[in-house]
Amino acid sequence: MAAATTGVSALEIEHASVPGRLHDVSLRLEPGQLVALVGPNGSGKSTLLQVAAGLLAADGGRVAWAGRALKTVSFAERGQMAAWVPQEAVFEFGFSVRSVVGQGRFAHDDDDAGVDAVLNRLQLTALAHRPVNRLSGGERHRVLIGRALATEAKLQLWDEPLAALDVRHALEVLRLAHELKHAGHTVLMSLHDLRQAHAFDRVIVLQDGRLQAFGPPAEVLTPERLRDVFGVKARIAPGLSIELP
Amino acid sequence: MKPAWVTRGALPAAVILLVALVILSLGAGDLHLGLARIWAGLVRRDELAATILWQVRLPRVCVAMLIGGALGASGLVMQAYFRNSLASPGLLGVSSGGAAGAVVAIGAGWASLSLWVLPTAATIGAFVATGAVIGLARRGASTERLLLAGVALNAMLGAVVSYVLSNFTITYERNAQIIFWLLGGLEDRTWEHAAMAVAVLPCAALLWPLGRPMDLLSLGAAEAQSLGVDVRTLRRRLLVLSTVMTALATAVGGTVGFVGLVVPHVLRLLVGPEHRRLVPLSLVGGAAFVLACDLIGRAAGGLRLGIVTALVGGPYFLWLLRRQA
Repeated sequence: MAAATTGVSALEIEHASVPGRLHDVSLRLEPGQLVALVGPNGSGKSTLLQVAAGLLAADGGRVAWAGRALKTVSFAERGQMAAWVPQEAVFEFGFSVRSVVGQGRFAHDDDDAGVDAVLNRLQLTALAHRPVNRLSGGERHRVLIGRALATEAKLQLWDEPLAALDVRHALEVLRLAHELKHAGHTVLMSLHDLRQAHAFDRVIVLQDGRLQAFGPPAEVLTPERLRDVFGVKARIAPGLSIELP
Repeated sequence: MKPAWVTRGALPAAVILLVALVILSLGAGDLHLGLARIWAGLVRRDELAATILWQVRLPRVCVAMLIGGALGASGLVMQAYFRNSLASPGLLGVSSGGAAGAVVAIGAGWASLSLWVLPTAATIGAFVATGAVIGLARRGASTERLLLAGVALNAMLGAVVSYVLSNFTITYERNAQIIFWLLGGLEDRTWEHAAMAVAVLPCAALLWPLGRPMDLLSLGAAEAQSLGVDVRTLRRRLLVLSTVMTALATAVGGTVGFVGLVVPHVLRLLVGPEHRRLVPLSLVGGAAFVLACDLIGRAAGGLRLGIVTALVGGPYFLWLLRRQA
């Protein structure tokens, strides 16, 4: 909860609208925050992430990274400042795992720095020379997260990174997100598991393209809101708890 | 991961293969020329050999290499652009667009006005086809959608050609000229034809440095942009280069199918998907493939180039479809 109230924001979105998908969303993330983006299917989570990543132009709105309006940031700098992980991990061509992770260094003149460490961190070293189009869905997603990590970008925007992963790898990725946060990165990821969102610094709730709530999880994920937005009944109860050994 | 000696040795090997094929092509023909006589002819010490080489065989070899390099590289670019390893100038209808443009120019009698009319008309036709493909099949479109768009486009452009053939029947000569041209071949190619297609070389030079960003684009446009590629500019360049190269190849050789499909595909199997390697390799490999097909056609008693590339490439394509299914 180390939200700096002074200084520049890691990500600022002002009045972002995308016709039919996103309606006048404004928010501000601080450096070193781990933020969950939740909402029912079709609520605009992927759209918001793409707007935040500068991949989708918002109507009339403004997006800024580290205090700089996105319009003034060159393409190469964008590749250094923010990383985006798509929801779908589809590869037509058989690049090796290592070379796809290495693409994260494109905006750094392809210097290949830190690629082996990233492979190691995501337990991809054994797969390093395998073609990406022959991997399982979960493995492909880890490759994409690895590529995002290799950019060393301060702003990490991940679209449902956990959906395709088995329980252990999902927990590994969450731990990774926490480490990034402690290293001063800002991580924004969309999620479906509201229980996991509870461990984040901030939660953004989207519904029908509108920002329903934004704040600390205890304030945002109230039983009333969960019923209104997701149509579920929430209850704190002891159950099966899973964590990394 | 391919062994290093394969990936590193591929380009030198392709160049050696190309040189060997050039020598074979220069030597083969009604009058067989050995190495010594080829040399003597090239430096004009042997009158007869010099005439054969400089007037007939050398222009033909140059045109063949320009066509092959252009089509091989265009296919590679289209495959990266559409993120689909079955995309190629022939299947997508870009070649047909070039052909339709050229046929209209010949039929209307403009082609005899200037040397540059034919390549210009082919380029315009090819751009119309490229525009239509982009409209019909969005980027990252499924193979089915892309190929169906190509089928429709090929049929429509074929209709344009048929219309010209049936309408401009004023002179028997023009009709014959169109049919001769449509068959796709290297017969009677002169230095004029080589000059028409020489713009392939600057296109290749412009394509050369785009290999690395093409890697990123081939795995997704949004992903590439988030990693720092100026996707819009890159795409525009790739599209213009591949369309112009296809058009020039078509203008001098007629429709020569399957080169743009087979060459990048085989090379990708050999050295992997990295475009920094594939761009130079597809230029050299395309040139070698067309020269080899021309040699086969000549050895088979004068089969036209388009027929040989179709006989080689068609079965390969069908095999690919079967393997993908």
